[in-house]
Amino acid sequence: MKMVHKIILGNVLVILFIAMGYAFSSQKFDLLQNKLNFVEVADSLNATLLMMRLSEKNYFLYKDASDLPLIRTDLAKSVTALNDEKKDMIRAIGEANFNALESSLNGYEQEIAKLEEAGVYTEEMQASLREAGRELREQSASMVRLEREQANNLITDSRKALLYFFSFILLIALTSTYFFFSKMFRSLRRIEKAANSISRGNFKKIKGKISKDEMGSVMAAINSMCEELGTRHEQLIQSRKLASMGVLTAGVAHELGNPLNNISMVAQNFIELYPHLPEAERLEYMNTVLQECERIRIIVQNLLDFSKPKTADFSMADINGLIRHACKLVQNMLDVSCIECRLTLGENLPLLLMDRNKIEEVLINLFTNAMHAMTCGGFVSITTSLDEKGDYVIIEVADNGSGISEEYLPQIFDPFFSTKGTEGTGLGLSISYSIIKNHNGKIDVKSREGGGTIFVISLPVSKEREGTDERLPNHGDR
Amino acid sequence: MSAYRIMVIDDENIVGKMIKATFEQDGYIVESFLNPVPALERMKEEKFDLVITDLKMKDMDGMEVLQKIKSETPEIKVIMITAFARLDAAVEAFRRNANDFFAKPIKITDLKASVRRLLGEEES
Repeated sequence: MKMVHKIILGNVLVILFIAMGYAFSSQKFDLLQNKLNFVEVADSLNATLLMMRLSEKNYFLYKDASDLPLIRTDLAKSVTALNDEKKDMIRAIGEANFNALESSLNGYEQEIAKLEEAGVYTEEMQASLREAGRELREQSASMVRLEREQANNLITDSRKALLYFFSFILLIALTSTYFFFSKMFRSLRRIEKAANSISRGNFKKIKGKISKDEMGSVMAAINSMCEELGTRHEQLIQSRKLASMGVLTAGVAHELGNPLNNISMVAQNFIELYPHLPEAERLEYMNTVLQECERIRIIVQNLLDFSKPKTADFSMADINGLIRHACKLVQNMLDVSCIECRLTLGENLPLLLMDRNKIEEVLINLFTNAMHAMTCGGFVSITTSLDEKGDYVIIEVADNGSGISEEYLPQIFDPFFSTKGTEGTGLGLSISYSIIKNHNGKIDVKSREGGGTIFVISLPVSKEREGTDERLPNHGDR
Repeated sequence: MSAYRIMVIDDENIVGKMIKATFEQDGYIVESFLNPVPALERMKEEKFDLVITDLKMKDMDGMEVLQKIKSETPEIKVIMITAFARLDAAVEAFRRNANDFFAKPIKITDLKASVRRLLGEEES
């Protein structure tokens, strides 16, 4: 279910619950209003009966016959009230009580009729009327009391019911809000993690179940973006290589220029000095030409090897050999900038499971960076060693160049981050980071502005024997 | 013809060897060095008329060699050669009073013509 639908459903339910609460309260208030109206009527009946009994008392006290019509009037009022409110009264006090009240009223009327008829009254008649009056009055008072009690009970019960009802609604609302938001925050955290991973140049898809709501759509979009970025990243690696070619061109021009010049000079001398050259020297000249041709062939071959797109190819290899080879590739570039390359390679290092081409690319990237940070007379120092536990081979590439400002350090492995302005593509270190990560290794940097830079690479020592490739690092996900 | 002394400084062994072979045929005295440091030492012992030096070398930059020669013995002619031909390098060399500048591959006849011109023996 989509989140927007969940929100609408939640709101509809809340409105429904509030409406139910309103209907319930409204019904209870109606009931209460009826009861209060009835109490009013019952009070009025009670007052009439009280007035009637007052006249009755006066009649017996002062023996004044004019009190009898007053009793009659109140009696008639009471009978009318009883008949008018019969239905409500039966509901309020029950049929039996009503009948008892009605019969008491009738009994009282009969006593009054007897009194009117007789004109005079006996002690017995007085006692009988007084008794009927008291009974009537008690029943009426009890009716009012009963109704008041019921009204009170109704208020107490309604208050309790409303408390339970709203507590229940609050509980439901809180629980559903908690589940709704915790699910949303879980999804947001997964998205945040993916975004962070992408920013570090790691284009892994979001794993696990993807919900069908809006968060799921965002995750699906991120996943397809990762796929697209992965493809683009590969293309960028290739273009980065071409860019490196540009950097290498200066070195290559120098490198090719020398053997070419040598061949040219030998040939010119050969022609010019031919008659003066002894046979042995002529042969030596031609051998020199062949040697210089071979030198050119090797340079061109190295260049081709470097620019060729390479598929992942993991095998057990000697890191020191690889470093020596990488140094040879950049030697001329370093010579042109008059930068020295110092190697301090650890002895008896274990062979490492690695993609030779990729690791070589990382080394060349680091050498190129070091070279850019230095002026003539600088040095690049490469040290290899085994860590204390023997789990990692540590490769340190240090230079005494301009260093990196502290504020830039956290960003240097970010794609497209460059301190070299238009000269750099900002991809070299980001690609190096990805490559080392795919080897399950680590790459760190220590630097101080003006105080040189040290890159420290740790590559894990493979537990497998040479020649097996069962535990290939996860390199196929980019 | 008086024997002019020429010094060649280039870390490419063959350059010195070839210049020496062809210039000695023409009657020059040629000494070649792979490294600028001993070359400059030698210059203190012997007077040279012309120096042909590479621009990029391991121990000392060709520009530095040029500057040293021109500041101490400005009468010595200096020809710069480089495999790393860049306009700014040539401009910089001339700004520091280099007498000529050649990009590799060098045409020996042009180099000879330049040497003759600089040593004032064009008519010979």
